[in-house]
Amino acid sequence: MALSKDIYSAFEDVVGAEYICDDPVIMPSYHSTEFAAVILPKNTTEVQAIVKLCNKYKLQFRPVCTGWTGMFPKGIIYLDMRRMNRIIEINEKNMYAVVEPYVISAQLQAELMKRGLHFNVKGAGTNCSAMLRGHGHLDQTTSGDDRNHLAIEWVTPEGDIVKSGSLGSSDEWFSGDGPGPSIRSILTSAVPPGVTPGVFTKAATKIYHWPGPSRFPIQGVSPNYSLSEIPPNFMARYFSFPSVEKMWEAEIKIGESEIAFELMGFNVSMVAANITTSNEEEAEVFERLNKEVQGPGFFLIIAGNSTADFEYKKRVLQHIISEADGKSLEPVEDPKIEGILLCQCIRISASIRETFRAGGAFSSIPVMSQRDLTIKWAVGAGKAKEPLIKKGLIVDDGGAFFGWGVEQGHLGKTEIFCRFDPQNPEAKKAVEEWHKEQSKRAFNERYFALLMPPSDEIGKGLSNYHVWWDKIKKALDPNGVTPEGGALV
Amino acid sequence: MGLEQYQGDMAMCCRCSACKFIPMQRVNGYQYANVCPSIARYDYHSYSGGGRLNIGAAMLKSGFNYTDKLLDIVYNCQMCGACGVSCNYAMDMEVLEPINEFRIKCVEDGQTNPALDKVINLLRKQGSMVPTKGKRGDWASGLKLKDATKEKVDVFYHVGCLTSYDKDMQKLAKATAKILQKAGVNFGIAGDAETCCGGRAYQMGYKEDFLNQAKKNMAMIKKAGVKTVVTACADGYQAFKVLYDKYNLKGDLEVLHISEYIDKLIKDGKLKPRKKVDSSVTYHDPCRLGRLGEPWIHWKGKKVPGDRFVFNPPKVYRKGTHGVYEPPRDILKSIPGINLTEMIRIKEYSWCCGAGGGVNESNPGFAQWTAKERIEEAVSTGAEAIVTACPWCEKTFNEAIRDTGSGLRIFDIVELIEKAIQ
Repeated sequence: MALSKDIYSAFEDVVGAEYICDDPVIMPSYHSTEFAAVILPKNTTEVQAIVKLCNKYKLQFRPVCTGWTGMFPKGIIYLDMRRMNRIIEINEKNMYAVVEPYVISAQLQAELMKRGLHFNVKGAGTNCSAMLRGHGHLDQTTSGDDRNHLAIEWVTPEGDIVKSGSLGSSDEWFSGDGPGPSIRSILTSAVPPGVTPGVFTKAATKIYHWPGPSRFPIQGVSPNYSLSEIPPNFMARYFSFPSVEKMWEAEIKIGESEIAFELMGFNVSMVAANITTSNEEEAEVFERLNKEVQGPGFFLIIAGNSTADFEYKKRVLQHIISEADGKSLEPVEDPKIEGILLCQCIRISASIRETFRAGGAFSSIPVMSQRDLTIKWAVGAGKAKEPLIKKGLIVDDGGAFFGWGVEQGHLGKTEIFCRFDPQNPEAKKAVEEWHKEQSKRAFNERYFALLMPPSDEIGKGLSNYHVWWDKIKKALDPNGVTPEGGALV
Repeated sequence: MGLEQYQGDMAMCCRCSACKFIPMQRVNGYQYANVCPSIARYDYHSYSGGGRLNIGAAMLKSGFNYTDKLLDIVYNCQMCGACGVSCNYAMDMEVLEPINEFRIKCVEDGQTNPALDKVINLLRKQGSMVPTKGKRGDWASGLKLKDATKEKVDVFYHVGCLTSYDKDMQKLAKATAKILQKAGVNFGIAGDAETCCGGRAYQMGYKEDFLNQAKKNMAMIKKAGVKTVVTACADGYQAFKVLYDKYNLKGDLEVLHISEYIDKLIKDGKLKPRKKVDSSVTYHDPCRLGRLGEPWIHWKGKKVPGDRFVFNPPKVYRKGTHGVYEPPRDILKSIPGINLTEMIRIKEYSWCCGAGGGVNESNPGFAQWTAKERIEEAVSTGAEAIVTACPWCEKTFNEAIRDTGSGLRIFDIVELIEKAIQ
């Protein structure tokens, strides 16, 4: 497990004594695994040198940013990217931003908002890396995941530095595809294993127009924040519908009319988590809100570029909601609640409330496809949660799922999770079984679920992509130094 | 019970890294997003609030393995509590308490820091956390202040070690006395009989020494029949108000920080800051007056079996919400000519001055690194001066200003009010 003195010294020569540690006492803070060492590189040159040493000594490594997820084989080198935390460039004219791995989304977003711009923040939260990959609340208008990737600086598993897209032919970051080498399919693998081997050391992402204030007017003391006023031409509402079909009808029309800044298919359980400051309060509010909704629903933000635009969008919305028999959830119309939801769901600053607060863990199945189809699958997965809820093994959310439109509903993502106490072995086992069964069902019913294993099984259904991926992986990483699994967040 | 009682809390840490930054809604740009000096300086996740909990949970499970690295992590923390505030925006769990208990366990196991041992030896011998030259009450000579241990007073002014003994800080004691006299308060001091509050010993992990000091102080207060204690030191304030209460020693003693008391005196019309003090200032919230100054909440209960991390009876967490934030600001606003500009990191998510948790003594370089970051933030507001309400903050900032050559001036809030009431 431990590195030999010589190998340790070789890494130490790269980063300095302060930034390599193999003392087992620190390892529990790094995902409770026995790593050979934790190394904190400062720049691309150091990353390249580390990767080359890993190849020389046949050591596996994995880079991680703030890192609340990830699976790690024992004995690997953990690259903590924390010291690479610079915003390299915000190019307002060409609408892109370039960051190193440990810039968190909250920092980049705040800088962008000052400039009348914003970007796609991962649903995982604004506390995560601003670099690449991720879907979330803002997908309706900012798309998500690899659709926002522009040029990337990549240290390959063998330690070469590859500059993709326009960066490959100039010092410009504006395009991921050229002029220069376009290796988008390798660098932005959206299918399992989901992580490009090697290390992204800098990456450019698309940025978008922001019609809101340079900062939200937050008042109060944590955790009781609210907005002193709703920003002009902004509105947040939650609508429930008598059926999934009616909800989908409204969703698609809203997408077609391009009126929503954000369309997040929260269930009321997630609304309750967002607007409350404790577990007890959340349970109470959920019970109350659940009685006020007529069925499934979504949370929506309208943002006008002008008063006229705002009024137009509201009128269209009213028409669509009325046609679909939608009903506004009254408590969300309270400016205090509306304000904090607006802020949290744009800054993506309460994902932890939605996921971890209740029991300490959650297990999720995300499905990327047409919303109307995936919702049908999710209804079944929700029903399968009911016995677990009855036994008190998972948090009662009414068996709900959630999801959102991507690019005004051209695509969509549906997700469902169980929140539970990971210290309870019975709950853990039940959730694992639920996850396995419902993932399998997603595959069998021909939905695309983001499953880790078994990629062989999924691959057969997707043009044997896994065979090609294995070949690419072997070519890129002949020494097998980049283990699969995990995500760089 | 010690660390064991927080096993469930430590297991709740989802490693989201929120503890490293100010609450996410409050992040207003690339700069000044960090909230924890320890992770900001040392970078390894282990130095963050979450990392500390992860290590604590693992060691409870598999045994305590004290290495140099572990002790470096343990003692390079100002115990400022900012990690807890940021975590608790979303999560219901204790953060600082288990970190504190971990340090107490280190001390109980003899895994101490030599520099802190030296300070505690001084405390045991002389009742002070700072070197003693002369007598504790010398600063008051000629001021004709009442002796609270012998005369009946309404208010007992506990001066604190640094303000009593440090020649550069004695001005704060004199200013405080002058303000109270001007307002006609019937107050007294204990002079040479005063002893350390014990708060800083507690931060360093020396719980027994803290309890000894707390008992001595409360015995003196009971004997004197005092109902109200005023401190002008944030450490003293937190000790008397929060820590004494935590260990059921406070009783019904009213504890006020001088900023709360002056604010009340101004609002009651007993103090009138009329004289113009032309200055543009920014205000630094001391950790133990702000987020850690909120009252202790007595609670005993059991986890409700099931899906949620909830308790019977429900547990109300101290999330930094009820610290002393407005009184100092109200005082500054009441002084003619003062123009207050806020820094980015304020109130519950204020950046620490660097002096807490024994870091000032065990790793002065780290304390200064932390203070310099705050000075830079203060300068970025365009203010001419940084105002605080704790002598430890003032001392640390003074050194940072001297080191950096910054032209920023520093005042304690009592110095400004003293000028305004002349």
